[in-house]
Amino acid sequence: MIEIKKKQFGDFIKNLMETYRVFAPTKDGKKSSFSEIKKADEIVDVHTTKSAKSVFFPQAEVLFNYSENEIEVPNLEQKPIALWGIHSCDTKGLLSLDKVFKNAHQLPNNKMYEDPYWNKKYAESLIFTLACNEPLTTCFCNWFESGPFDKTGADIFVVDNGESFLLEAISDKGQTFFIQSGFDQEGEHQHAVFSLKKKAESMMEEKQDISSVFETLNEIQEKEFWEEITQKCINCGACTFVCPTCHCFDVSDEGKHQKGKRIRVWDSCMFGIFTEEASGHNPRGLSYQRVQQRIMHKFNYFYDNYEEHLCSGCGRCIRVCPTNLDIREIVKKIIKRKNNV
Amino acid sequence: MCNTYIPFQMKIENIIDENPDRSLRTFDLSFVKKEDEEAFKYLPGQFCEFSILGKGESPFGIASSPTEKGLLKFTVSRIGLVTNEIHHLQIGDIVGMRGPLGNWYPVEKMKGKDIVIIGGGFAFTTLRSLIVYLLENRADYGKITVIYGARTPELFIFKEELKEWDKREDLILHLTIDKPIKGWNKLCGFVPTITKNVEPDPTSWAIVCGPPIMIKFTLPVLSELGFDDNIIYTSLERRMKCGIGKCGRCGIGSKYICIDGPVFSLAELKKIPDAF
Ligand SMILES: Cc1cc2nc3c(=O)[nH]c(=O)nc-3n(C[C@H](O)[C@H](O)[C@H](O)COP(=O)(O)OP(=O)(O)OC[C@H]3O[C@@H](n4cnc5c(N)ncnc54)[C@H](O)[C@@H]3O)c2cc1C
Ligand code: SF4
Ligand code: SF4
Ligand code: FES
Repeated sequence: MIEIKKKQFGDFIKNLMETYRVFAPTKDGKKSSFSEIKKADEIVDVHTTKSAKSVFFPQAEVLFNYSENEIEVPNLEQKPIALWGIHSCDTKGLLSLDKVFKNAHQLPNNKMYEDPYWNKKYAESLIFTLACNEPLTTCFCNWFESGPFDKTGADIFVVDNGESFLLEAISDKGQTFFIQSGFDQEGEHQHAVFSLKKKAESMMEEKQDISSVFETLNEIQEKEFWEEITQKCINCGACTFVCPTCHCFDVSDEGKHQKGKRIRVWDSCMFGIFTEEASGHNPRGLSYQRVQQRIMHKFNYFYDNYEEHLCSGCGRCIRVCPTNLDIREIVKKIIKRKNNV
Repeated sequence: MCNTYIPFQMKIENIIDENPDRSLRTFDLSFVKKEDEEAFKYLPGQFCEFSILGKGESPFGIASSPTEKGLLKFTVSRIGLVTNEIHHLQIGDIVGMRGPLGNWYPVEKMKGKDIVIIGGGFAFTTLRSLIVYLLENRADYGKITVIYGARTPELFIFKEELKEWDKREDLILHLTIDKPIKGWNKLCGFVPTITKNVEPDPTSWAIVCGPPIMIKFTLPVLSELGFDDNIIYTSLERRMKCGIGKCGRCGIGSKYICIDGPVFSLAELKKIPDAF
């Protein structure tokens, strides 16, 4: 572990910017999100409204520009990204998204379906996971074999002890960064970190055993279960936009026939039009079917493919929901149902 | 790294109106660049994203067979924004294409087997691809039976080829329309009923493609005839965007139609909630 005194933090970020484009939590009016910074004092220490997924998967992204029939792909050869101040829940979200975007499918022509826009940025990035000293009442990362001090997916793990940031290299990339920066892992701060960790963990609600959720969801056949859960939901989609693991997007062309761009924009399974076909047929035309899709995708379908849930317990969807629908209550209902059978 | 979001160029070589109200058109396209043609290896059942810059993309099943070198064929029903734009294309126009996408009919596993192909309406596109492919590799397969239904005689697509196939000894073709019409001397009745009457041997492999309602009623007929769920295949459609399993739009259960399908066996479909 190395120590960076807060006084030196400005210089640390400045040095980082020589090699990296630095992204960190910043204020955006009353909201906060991750964006590229130029100076350390732009950084805020908050639970951001939007997740860090936007750093690698922007809300709107140009796939290519076109003019007549000529296509020009935006330059993907940019400086690598260093991501500062991301909490463990978002770091885990990035790992889930990487499964979707990197996951390569092979066809007879040996083409690999990788996502070049995500892959390069994420693969080359340096992730500084910041320990979460003060979880909110809506946080429930501890349900997912994680916690506020989880180092999974981090290149460098950072603890803020008030006066300093304590940095620990986790991945090979993190080690290399330490060597290049002339840091050595010396310095004993384990004790202070341990007590901060205990304190943060004690602020969280009791952990739920979610091991039965996947199986129970396989068994729920009746629509009444979903209709009941959906009662409050107005399908506004806010939950999926703020979510660090939701990856759905729309592709559309902007501009005239001769000149314009093809962009992808975050989309949401909460919208009826998401699945509406040209014929008018809609496999998920009803509100409850869309809530069912969201919950099933997060706690059953994704699990079926990757043996993990598509939720990191960040609690954003709970905080942002205009009708106070709480995903924890839904998961608890599923657990309870299992126990009642 | 290859970027699957970028369409390559193709040129419209030929356009055929398939029916009198001109809502169905077949387009033959050639590759503009030799390297795109060489990279484009496909099998019957796969699809492409047809791209009109400024309007968007739409997925269409490939109606040509890989044995027909140098061209791709699509039959497009005019129904919305992109398909309308496609219908306005002229011979010589350049368009964008992404693909081949998705999986294919089990042409390898079907070798040496009898095959029954059941289709309805204009969803016959990838079935044409399959039939042309099988006929081109005729010695590899057993008896081939085709059952094809349309509401009226005008609504069949590939009419010239149907006439050719009808004359062949090595392919049994049953054409049916919904209701009797003067001058029609082939079968009348819905595809499920005709399938029941034709009584294909349940050891043959069945490929079913058509409107959802036709699929829904034909699959049970095959099961009743004794077909195993593992040798009945069908092709599904859902709204799509990326075609490569990222945008989440075409999900059914834990599968994405664009990469895990569009071709599924009945055995696979029975494991997916709400597949129909
Ligand atoms: C695997 C597959 C194969 C297909 N093969 C054929 C074919 O051979 N011939 C044919 O005529 N049609 C086919 N379709 C349906 C065809 O893709 C839609 O009719 C078409 O996308 C409608 O686009 P639009 O812009 O005209 O309609 P709009 O209603 O304006 O749709 C806007 C956009 O929504 C999406 N979309 C809407 N409906 C569908 C749909 N049913 N399926 C997929 N995406 C949709 C498209 O991205 C489209 O550009 C196929 C669909 C799939 C999924
Ligand atoms: S579903 Fe809710 S709690 Fe789970 S990761 Fe998404 S926003 Fe966070
Ligand atoms: S929950 Fe809905 S919006 Fe989120 S990834 Fe799944 S399908 Fe997409
Ligand atoms: S079309 Fe995007 S996931 Fe299938």
